[in-house]
Amino acid sequence: MLGTYFYHEIIRKTIIGFGTLFNDIYIRHQNKDGSIADETKVGLSYGPTQKFIAKIQQQSDLNKSIAITLPRMSFEMSGIQYDPSRKTSVTKTFKTNDANDNIQKVYMPVPYNISFELSIYAKLSDDALQIIEQILPYFQPSFNLTIDLVDSIGEKKDVPVVMDNIELQDDYEGDFSTRRALIYTLRFTAKTYIFGPISDSTEGLIRKVQVDIYTDTDTKNAKREMRYTATPDPITANPGDNYGFDEDWEFLGDSKSYSPTQQLDI
Amino acid sequence: MALNPFFLQGSSSEQFLMQDLINEQLKIYGIDVYYLPRKILNLDDVLREAETSKFDDSFLIEAYLDNYEGYAPGSDIMSKFGLRLKNEINLIISKERFEDFIGPFISGLNQGLVDKTLTGFETLLAKRPSEGDLIFFPLGERLFEIKKVEFEKPFYQLGKNYVFELQCELYEYENEVIDTTIDVVDNTVEDEGYITTLNLSPSTNTNAEATASIGDGIVSRIILNNDGYDYTSEPTVTISAPTIGITATAVAITTSVGNANSLESIVITNAGSGYATTNPPTINISGGGGVGAAATAVVSNSGVRLLTMDEEGSEYYLTPTVTIDGPVGLGETATARTVLNDGKVTLQIVNAGFGYTEAPSVNISAASNVSAAGTFLYNETVTGSLSGTTAVVRSFEVLRGPGISTENPPRTLRVAINSGQFSAGETITGSESSAVYVLKSYDNNSYEDSYDENEEFEIEADSILDFTEKNPFGEY
Repeated sequence: MLGTYFYHEIIRKTIIGFGTLFNDIYIRHQNKDGSIADETKVGLSYGPTQKFIAKIQQQSDLNKSIAITLPRMSFEMSGIQYDPSRKTSVTKTFKTNDANDNIQKVYMPVPYNISFELSIYAKLSDDALQIIEQILPYFQPSFNLTIDLVDSIGEKKDVPVVMDNIELQDDYEGDFSTRRALIYTLRFTAKTYIFGPISDSTEGLIRKVQVDIYTDTDTKNAKREMRYTATPDPITANPGDNYGFDEDWEFLGDSKSYSPTQQLDI
Repeated sequence: MALNPFFLQGSSSEQFLMQDLINEQLKIYGIDVYYLPRKILNLDDVLREAETSKFDDSFLIEAYLDNYEGYAPGSDIMSKFGLRLKNEINLIISKERFEDFIGPFISGLNQGLVDKTLTGFETLLAKRPSEGDLIFFPLGERLFEIKKVEFEKPFYQLGKNYVFELQCELYEYENEVIDTTIDVVDNTVEDEGYITTLNLSPSTNTNAEATASIGDGIVSRIILNNDGYDYTSEPTVTISAPTIGITATAVAITTSVGNANSLESIVITNAGSGYATTNPPTINISGGGGVGAAATAVVSNSGVRLLTMDEEGSEYYLTPTVTIDGPVGLGETATARTVLNDGKVTLQIVNAGFGYTEAPSVNISAASNVSAAGTFLYNETVTGSLSGTTAVVRSFEVLRGPGISTENPPRTLRVAINSGQFSAGETITGSESSAVYVLKSYDNNSYEDSYDENEEFEIEADSILDFTEKNPFGEY
């Protein structure tokens, strides 16, 4: 039943969209006189990784001389849940053009919430506060990302990223055998959409509308009076083009009816 | 009297003997480590944190390594922040040796932490090793931070303590200056932290030179009557041809404020010839995504018709200024603007002037007044002349390789602990080496930290995110 291959990389794109919000945050330290001592761009990475890659990237030299460089930020996707509040009809479809102007038939996307955890690891409480303060004002409680979720059809969707909560862990108590660990965890929900397979539409583009008008609703016995037809002008126009319409009224007054299958009046 | 008066519970001579024996044992079985006292440069009195610190002193002392089985298993942790090393060591040093040979030098440092009168780094805890100080451990060349100083173990043998036990954990680094002048110690953080790259100019450059030619019936300037709107790129400007003569050419310059895009001006690249002052040509503006711009031409005689670049120059990083000498006698001085492209200069006529009887001189400012020279030193402070930004040198490299000039190669300077952002075109000067170079470009991506993905996210996001207005978090 399932099995039509498709992969729009929607969840991956949502991860990228979420990550790019936090990839340009700086912190500063001051000298005693108030001048800036140093300015540091806070490193950001997607937490889950293959262990050997982390080891090679961060300890290429076996004699790594320090424990870790701080501050750092890391985030990870922590869950995917269906969002019934944004549900649409399962049979609803829409048509759109792909890059080659072929008509594509697309089922309405399925609303899913993707949970993210952003963790901030700082050496100083003030560092963490600087980072937090640069993030919080943008979430009231959500921030809209416009993401091109399916590039083949250019479908841009607004994906609100909602801040759910902030958790602070400051392990400064205890004996001196453990070091203070200062970690903020911010939880977010990205309200994204998952698209199903996209297929070429067999129905094609409607290029002619034809309406036969009868004298009565009993079309079997009533007399056919008029026919209205409308076609785009020019007839080769595509949906994105600037085009008009040619309209035509034809007086028939016969007892025939139109056969859609034979495309004839019989 | 509770104790037996016929026995000594530790005489001073016994205590001295014990201390001497311990000192001797430490010198035989210990290893030499460097002790780096912390100097707190700025203390946050509210959150009670050392905001900035530096380590620029070092003291060699023998220590007994109490980890005879090596680091504890499982010291390398894979965390969500990447690899985190939790190696711990216990070092035992002689109390007497520390008090005699290190204590006097660091006496007073950080004392302000205790009496709350911290006035700078001229403040220290002495008499004993301090938590927060660093130990350079030569086996593995690692930096350890002292977490706790145990001074009562063994517990008052013969009525006195003889050693300090330093319980240490691998150091968590964050932009602290480590400048002890001992290379092996200082180099531990050479590739650590937020390191940015300054691409420096080659040591020589070429100044741009141009000559002017004058003529009659030229388009001396173009007046923009309507700047239009929605011009996201430069539109094409076409000037109608004269009856007999050379057709003038011009280009438009766009400007934007917020999301509003319009034309700023139209400048002349060739003023043409053969135009009648009473019948100026028409200006047609097309393309560029916008509409509504309109301009008229002014025709004059004896003006600057063409500015020819005799030498486009090289290694220009700041847009140079250009002046054209005025006419002898009555007239109007011509003006021009410079356009910089890949370090080379071209000129455009803003106003061709009039009243010139001979071709005037064109004066273009020099690429740089700096004679780039010198070698930057590790850990010295460099300063940008325009931005005022300071940073600490991590490395200075002369680029070699295929296609790179061997006589005049470009240089790369890696710096850390920046006080801000550098800007292209400014002069970078070393505080100790006095090396001077002009900054060609500045890359503020963290150098060599392959684990960070800041840039990767930005590159990937550029093709899928639609920040129609602007990314409020800033563009990477």
